[in-house]
Amino acid sequence: MAFNYDKYLRLEKMPTLWCWGCGDGVILKAFIRAIVKMGWSQDDVCVVSGIGCSGRFSSYVDFNTIHTTHGRTVAYATGVKLAFPDKHVICVAGDGDALAIGGNHTIHACRRNIDITFIVINNFIYGLTNSQTSPTTPKGMWTVTQKIGNIDPTFDGCDLAIASGASFVARESMLEPKKLEKIFVKAFEHKGFAYLDILSNCHINLGRKNKMVSAMANLEWIDSITISKKKYDAMSKEEQLNLFPTGVLHHDDEADEYCDMNREIQKAHQGLRSKITQDDFAKKI
Amino acid sequence: MYQIEKPDNVPVWVNTDNCKACDICVSVCPSGVLGMRYESSSTLGAMISIDHPEACIGCNECELTCPDFAIYVAEKSEYKFAKLTDDAKERQAAIVANNYMSLDQQGVK
Amino acid sequence: MTREIISTGNELAAIAAVDAGCKFFGGYPLTPSSEVMHTISDLLPKIDGTCIQMEDEIGAICAVIGAGMAGVRTMTGTSGPGMSLKAENLGLAQMAEVPLVCVNVMRGGPSTGLPTRVSQGDILQSKNPSHGDYKSITLCAGSLSECYTEVVRAFNIADRFMQPVIVLLDETIGHMHGKAMIPTKEEVKAGIVPRKTFDGPSEEYFPYECGPTEPAVLNPMFEGYRYHFTGLHHDRKGFPTEEIETCRKLIQRLEDKVEAHKDEIESYEEFMMDDAEVMIVAYGSVSLAAKESIRHLRADGIKAGLFRPITIWPSPAERMKEHADKIEKVLVVELNIGQFHSEVQRATSRLDIDGLFKVNGRAISPHEIVTKVKEL
Repeated sequence: MAFNYDKYLRLEKMPTLWCWGCGDGVILKAFIRAIVKMGWSQDDVCVVSGIGCSGRFSSYVDFNTIHTTHGRTVAYATGVKLAFPDKHVICVAGDGDALAIGGNHTIHACRRNIDITFIVINNFIYGLTNSQTSPTTPKGMWTVTQKIGNIDPTFDGCDLAIASGASFVARESMLEPKKLEKIFVKAFEHKGFAYLDILSNCHINLGRKNKMVSAMANLEWIDSITISKKKYDAMSKEEQLNLFPTGVLHHDDEADEYCDMNREIQKAHQGLRSKITQDDFAKKI
Repeated sequence: MYQIEKPDNVPVWVNTDNCKACDICVSVCPSGVLGMRYESSSTLGAMISIDHPEACIGCNECELTCPDFAIYVAEKSEYKFAKLTDDAKERQAAIVANNYMSLDQQGVK
Repeated sequence: MTREIISTGNELAAIAAVDAGCKFFGGYPLTPSSEVMHTISDLLPKIDGTCIQMEDEIGAICAVIGAGMAGVRTMTGTSGPGMSLKAENLGLAQMAEVPLVCVNVMRGGPSTGLPTRVSQGDILQSKNPSHGDYKSITLCAGSLSECYTEVVRAFNIADRFMQPVIVLLDETIGHMHGKAMIPTKEEVKAGIVPRKTFDGPSEEYFPYECGPTEPAVLNPMFEGYRYHFTGLHHDRKGFPTEEIETCRKLIQRLEDKVEAHKDEIESYEEFMMDDAEVMIVAYGSVSLAAKESIRHLRADGIKAGLFRPITIWPSPAERMKEHADKIEKVLVVELNIGQFHSEVQRATSRLDIDGLFKVNGRAISPHEIVTKVKEL
């Protein structure tokens, strides 16, 4: 008997619309295994996705699911979470979703440190809309909007998340499904905003003109640009230049979580505690 | 919908209805168990094939990396898996060198 | 039973929301609507509700829709520029049939316009804030009391028709400070009609499978009825589809669920209309000036009356036509260049409807209306 994903899938939506070899499917499976590890009831989980190939994620999994407008994933999730703080809210977005059109929501959700897991499937391109430059497209690569080479600087979503105040930031690639499952479990267990940069392939739209026409060629490229955080940290700046560290990059269990703080606001208004002052916070500014 | 029940006497099995022929499972197998075969009715002109089930070591990598729920591996308790041998490693290297095609398949996909 | 309260229009809107069972408010500061959020941020935490100031207007409407999908009564407050930013996601709420109340305190536009001054320039925007076909519901408060009662009504309509309801205030009404007679909390509570829910077995639950003129039945989240929300055309379970008949029926139903039941939504006030020989059509703060002008006109022997639509969309078209068939002189007075005037023309099938329009950020005085009526 193999692992049974059926219970967590909307079987009538299968097979997925994703292309052959698309990492989204691998991420979907690791996601389900992690949920099973957590022992969460399907009724207690809300999965919110945006627009793009990753946007289909929510329709394939049998939870309470929302497919939102482009980039607004985490803003919708904020509403769900604040309405039901004891439920589990997970966002799945793409790199364009999270870092371009929805960049502002990403920054502020990190800043609030609200207890939402934000899975960013980063395939370095706008895949669904056919190869336009994304905020993570490497410089010099061909895109349909920059056919003689992308000049736009790239975004490191993890750096952004750490700087913005997310209390759990990690990166993995879909090349290692077991690690992926573990990182999902850690992120789900974490109380606070978890930002996960999950590197994935798009040999169809990133690869086709960048010498990675097969899934395997694209995966080999991802392998060549990732290295464990431990090894990365031991490197010189020059060696680090074109590499992404993987693993847990930042983890702070002490940071105030937004729903908890919101509960304090409710208590203060209900006379159950004194009003909130600067003395309530170790870090005030 | 999926064939999660193990058929008799096999360590690894596939649901060819789900397979999109992406090569990933073939690439991650350490033991040269899998390969692609030409299949004119498949979208990409190829289909997964289990050529050397006797060599399967039960590492589960192919199942974990399959994006399309198409390949399944038995539980350790259900099947006595092989040990990884040098022959199997060599065969795997040859399959990768053959563009993930089974070794009896000739030409470029 | 009524109670007396001294407050402003914006504050009354916030108080009404809480009394109507609102549990979540997402907002962003925007003159002249900010006091709605100021007030509700004190009221909601007292009843275990949440008010969150989001990072922008888009975030605010998204959080509100998210909470609405989760199953609680939600509201946001904004003004024209914020409505423009919220438009796309209001479209999603129409498509996915998520109830919410959006208070728009109108200021001068377009663009940044006249932030602190009055206007009624968002009438047409509120008819179709987002792209695509759907039928908007828009109510317009014409007095302090109505800032309260129309917001309460908006919540019930939103849950009845499962879609956003826009409540228009204008800057004058929003910032007007005075005495208002409003229903008691108990009365409001007794009048709350929550959204319909399905309580059969979950495998028989199809949230978007409903009659051709009925709204979707969306159960709250986390209660064992798992389904899918999307802005895409969707099937009975909420899953994306491009099936021809399903797509057609869905969009037709979004239109028809309001059209077939507009008698439940339409409301208007008639002031001295029984013997009127001149019909003034005005709404919002302008109707206050219009009433004053009618008293002056009547004193001068001109039998003027006021028709005040409270439901702007769908407009009380049949009633306007009944009057216009009998009354020759019809004058639409509004703080824009004829946005509702064109609706009166359409509803009455008359192209000779007069208009008195003003777009300089200042209120219309009764004197201006009196002068105009005497010129007709």
